[in-house]
Amino acid sequence: MTGSKLTKKDYLKTTLRAYFLQNGFNYSNYQGLGYSLVMYPSLKKLYGDQPERLAQELKDNNEFYNTNPNLLPFITSIHLAMADRGMSYSEIRGIKMALMGPLAGIGDSLSQFCLAPLFSTIFASMAMDGISIAPLLFLFCMNFVLLLLKLIMGNYGMKLGTSMIDKLSEQMGAISDAAGMIGVTVIAGLAAAFVKINVAISFAAGEMQEGVKQSTVDIQAMLDKVAPALLPVLYTILMYYLIKKKNVTTYWLVLITVVLGVVLSYLGILR
Amino acid sequence: MVEITLVQSILIGLWTAFCYAGMLWGIYTNRCIVLSFGVGVILGDIPTALQCGAIGELAFMGFGVGAGGTVPPNPIGPGIIGTLMAITMSSVTPESALPISIPFAVAIQFLQTAIYTVRAGAPESAAHALEKKQFGKFLRTSNMTVILFAVCGFALGFLGAFSMETLSKLVEMIPSWLLNGLSVAGGMLPAIGFAMIMSVMLKKEFIPFALLGYICAAYFSMPIIGIALVGAVFAIKHYNESSNAAVAAAAGPQEVEHDDWI
Repeated sequence: MTGSKLTKKDYLKTTLRAYFLQNGFNYSNYQGLGYSLVMYPSLKKLYGDQPERLAQELKDNNEFYNTNPNLLPFITSIHLAMADRGMSYSEIRGIKMALMGPLAGIGDSLSQFCLAPLFSTIFASMAMDGISIAPLLFLFCMNFVLLLLKLIMGNYGMKLGTSMIDKLSEQMGAISDAAGMIGVTVIAGLAAAFVKINVAISFAAGEMQEGVKQSTVDIQAMLDKVAPALLPVLYTILMYYLIKKKNVTTYWLVLITVVLGVVLSYLGILR
Repeated sequence: MVEITLVQSILIGLWTAFCYAGMLWGIYTNRCIVLSFGVGVILGDIPTALQCGAIGELAFMGFGVGAGGTVPPNPIGPGIIGTLMAITMSSVTPESALPISIPFAVAIQFLQTAIYTVRAGAPESAAHALEKKQFGKFLRTSNMTVILFAVCGFALGFLGAFSMETLSKLVEMIPSWLLNGLSVAGGMLPAIGFAMIMSVMLKKEFIPFALLGYICAAYFSMPIIGIALVGAVFAIKHYNESSNAAVAAAAGPQEVEHDDWI
């Protein structure tokens, strides 16, 4: 036992290096190479005086890994805490691999399915209104929250060790449920506001008479009175149905939509 | 037709390189809204860029979703190429730029898969370097994917901007009825993005929230932050109730025992 070689600064450094997790992304071990890269400076501090050991540690860590980069600091902090107490990689490996799946699930649902759609839709609609700084605000909000998440996770991992993971995933589940509800509300609203399908047809009311101004029935105006944004919502529901129930791929949906849009506009049905 | 200078082409190349590399870092730069904003700043037409970015962002929102390692069509298509077209060509609107640039998005998707595949040998060569204790070589190997991303990003942005004149001649050959049709299609495409994200997020118990969002947007024409807040009211209520229920469930059995004992 050499006591603790690592300071808080080393933990922080490794936490911030989570950004490099995918610098070496590849199709044979995914983030494995990146994991070694993230750990490099701290491992160097631990084993720097024995190059053999350092090379072996990096080589051992260079094995399949795939998790969410934003929650990675939780894993690396636990890894470092254990390594600092003199534990070998074979003792650490179990917890490292056990955390990979659950944290990927929680992290992805939080960042990809809640935060990103929420901020993306809010700031895209601001941009639509011509507010120039909307893209910068998007970047700022997204990265601020994700950095905060990384720092909290890194700190948690350092302080709580390995016992808290169950309780943590329980809490995260409830939070991501609530975030999902807000997300669904926002996205449904956006589908109604931003998908644009307008019927161009209008009928003449009554008989055609030469020289008399005809009153016409505009189908789109009628639809809007019944339910605004009805066609966009129905089309979105159709797309949802095709994806969810029929497993139609995105390529087909894009192709169908483009062809439909061009044909219906050519025929004068949509505008 | 707005001319693009060599310097502007290089700047667009660098911007694309940074944004594309940022995708690996997870800093959310490789999104239509961000990509096209940079193009707008460099070419001095921010309003058009904002329109393109917003339309592309909404349409591609669902395309970024997937389990780790799966590659979606790339926002560089509409974000860089589509925005360039909308800004430089008077016949292309932000709506029609989206469907025109989708083939580019798919091509870049294949390019990215190719990079990941080419790099499949990297762990092997890193291990070899480590056996010989060449730590410098290990670090270079570990960073190579992000370097390849930056190089490809630069090439895409630079060539896209530089060859815009040729591209515009091709676009000029598109008849106006087709461009009009593509504009209509551009208005419909976001439905796919929303549907894709819903296919991941929507659970049975969330359906009332979907209805809530529709009512707020369609009948009340509420701004989006307002809709988010209305959603938050019910989400917080649900969160509180479910944590109360959890506490009650934990306390429940004990109380029953206590009553029996009395």
